[in-house]
Amino acid sequence: MKHLVPEFEKLRERFPAGFESSLALPCLRRIQEDRGYVADSDIEELAVFLGVPQIQIEEVLSFYTQFRRKPIGRWHLQFCHNVSCSMNGAENVLAHVERRLGIKPGQTTPDGRYTLSTVECLGSCGTAPMMMVNDGYHENLTLAKLDELLQGLK
Amino acid sequence: MPEIFINGQAIEARDDQTVMEVAREHGHFIPYFCWHPQLSVVGNCRMCLVEVEGRGLDIACNMPVAKGMQVFTNSEEVQAHRKAILQFITLNHPVDCGICDKAGECVLQDYHYEYSGQRSLSHDEKVRSTKFYNLSNRILLDNERCILCLRCTRFTHEVSKSMALGVERRGDVSNIRPVEDRPLSEDPYSDNIIDICPVGALLSRQFLHKSRVWFLQPTPSVCPGCARGCTVQIWHRKPEWKLKALDQRQNENIARVTPLDNPAVNGPWICNKGRDLAQMFERVRADEPMLKGRPVTVPAALDEARRLIGAARHPVALVSNWGSNEELETFKDKLGEVFHCFVKQDWQRQPGERIEDDLLIRGDKNPNTTRARELFGHAEPDFKDGTDLVLVWGEGFDFARLPPRAGIIFLNSYLQPENGHADVFLPVSIQTERHGHYTNFEGTISAFEPCFEKKPGVLHAEDLIKALAAPARGHP
Ligand code: SF4
Ligand code: SF4
Ligand code: FES
Ligand code: FES
Repeated sequence: MKHLVPEFEKLRERFPAGFESSLALPCLRRIQEDRGYVADSDIEELAVFLGVPQIQIEEVLSFYTQFRRKPIGRWHLQFCHNVSCSMNGAENVLAHVERRLGIKPGQTTPDGRYTLSTVECLGSCGTAPMMMVNDGYHENLTLAKLDELLQGLK
Repeated sequence: MPEIFINGQAIEARDDQTVMEVAREHGHFIPYFCWHPQLSVVGNCRMCLVEVEGRGLDIACNMPVAKGMQVFTNSEEVQAHRKAILQFITLNHPVDCGICDKAGECVLQDYHYEYSGQRSLSHDEKVRSTKFYNLSNRILLDNERCILCLRCTRFTHEVSKSMALGVERRGDVSNIRPVEDRPLSEDPYSDNIIDICPVGALLSRQFLHKSRVWFLQPTPSVCPGCARGCTVQIWHRKPEWKLKALDQRQNENIARVTPLDNPAVNGPWICNKGRDLAQMFERVRADEPMLKGRPVTVPAALDEARRLIGAARHPVALVSNWGSNEELETFKDKLGEVFHCFVKQDWQRQPGERIEDDLLIRGDKNPNTTRARELFGHAEPDFKDGTDLVLVWGEGFDFARLPPRAGIIFLNSYLQPENGHADVFLPVSIQTERHGHYTNFEGTISAFEPCFEKKPGVLHAEDLIKALAAPARGHP
């Protein structure tokens, strides 16, 4: 985390004094972006940097399911399984990917390439079923589309 | 001074008050879990819903008073929603009251009985969570019983300032959790969270499964652990529930100690030392008078003590700062002229014990130094002028410091090696066996009451002092 401290100092200027604990969220996002996940040492160092007890960092981390405590695969496939997507066949497309990759949601392929997750509504109900691959949206999913997509993810 | 109406009653409220505060002051009960008079308002349990005319339902604990508002604390609407709130709060509750130490003094139990009475309507299996989770060396946590009112976390953030607790995750899988960098074990006020937890989620390890609370009764007392003199309740077995079989010593034991809410001294809190008074008072007791280590009757010991006092030319007394106001005053009155008196510090700070802070804990680890010094001065014990007799009242004085040839009369409650070295040893009662008052460091006087009977060979110090002052063979 140390190399991010100058960035965090800049962020701190945008917050009123005494609101250090509110900085936890943007700092943690930046750490995850940088490292891919949040390590135990990050929590300790951030607590010291912000001058807050570690529990306040843990609270933020564990509240948002988007934070990861372990490294994941190069490609993170997040399937929406909320109402609209489910009604439009999310289960099917998910099952297809599970079969192809040989993993269940929450797991990573042994070669470290893919991690599979299910998530709640990503605000793209009009183009259900959908998923995210890393930061990009993939909508109106069909089995054929998925196969093509997976080909391209090396 | 806005005038507001609660259930039709016109009330003059203060500008800075909430509806909850005004209602309580005027005897309108509103149920609550998360609100606590000494903690910040979070308004997360929704139990305190009231109806305000023209505004609908809202929570009383976070509702500032407004001129002319009409509040109803028990309308049909309120009752219906209260029931729904309780259904929500108990949706995943394990209902293991049968093995829960809080049963009998649990607010959730009371409210459920009073306002809901419904079983969980959940179609899903109840959420399972950790039970008997190790929160510290003193406290266990049952996450299934926790209703997430956050009183415990607020206490550690706002009152004890240990920052030891927080909430991990969210929704129905949220858990109260400790952190490694601020261990709850190092918070000397931690056990207060057991009291303020409205349910049986926080459990005292010392008290775990030791007794159902309805077998116990509280006796008001004063913690002698430091010069703050917090008022406490000492809980012990009710006479009608005395054990006649099993281990009958339990009848004479302290089951637990809790704070006695007292704005003048300690508010609703005490420190953990106050919780551990059993360890102080239940040390092995001395219950027989002795002459140079040889057991004798009470009259024989008193006769010998009086003889020594009568024969002494320069007697000195080391007066206990654990004596009550009454005992100290009796000593001053009856023996103050006979002895040259000094105040003795019976108890010193133990290794690792917090010295002093700005919440409660005081550096002087004795309960009545204030009154003792008022009566006997500030001088340190000093044996000049050929001291030929020393009366030592209470423990904690190193006999090696006594003048070698002086006679010793020793008044003590516990079985200690010094007892046998005294010319006359007289066992005295302890605080849990008598009435009295202590004066704390600020001059506030608090009373303690007896919980248990003293043994026959043991004397109350006040009677003993009077007997020692009596001219000839007067027995107490
Ligand atoms: S453990 Fe008790 S005090 Fe703490 S949040 Fe849960 S119910 Fe409230
Ligand atoms: S602060 Fe002092 S008087 Fe109060 S409970 Fe602790 S030791 Fe006892
Ligand atoms: S339900 Fe899947 S994007 Fe909204
Ligand atoms: S007591 Fe008001 S919301 Fe909990």
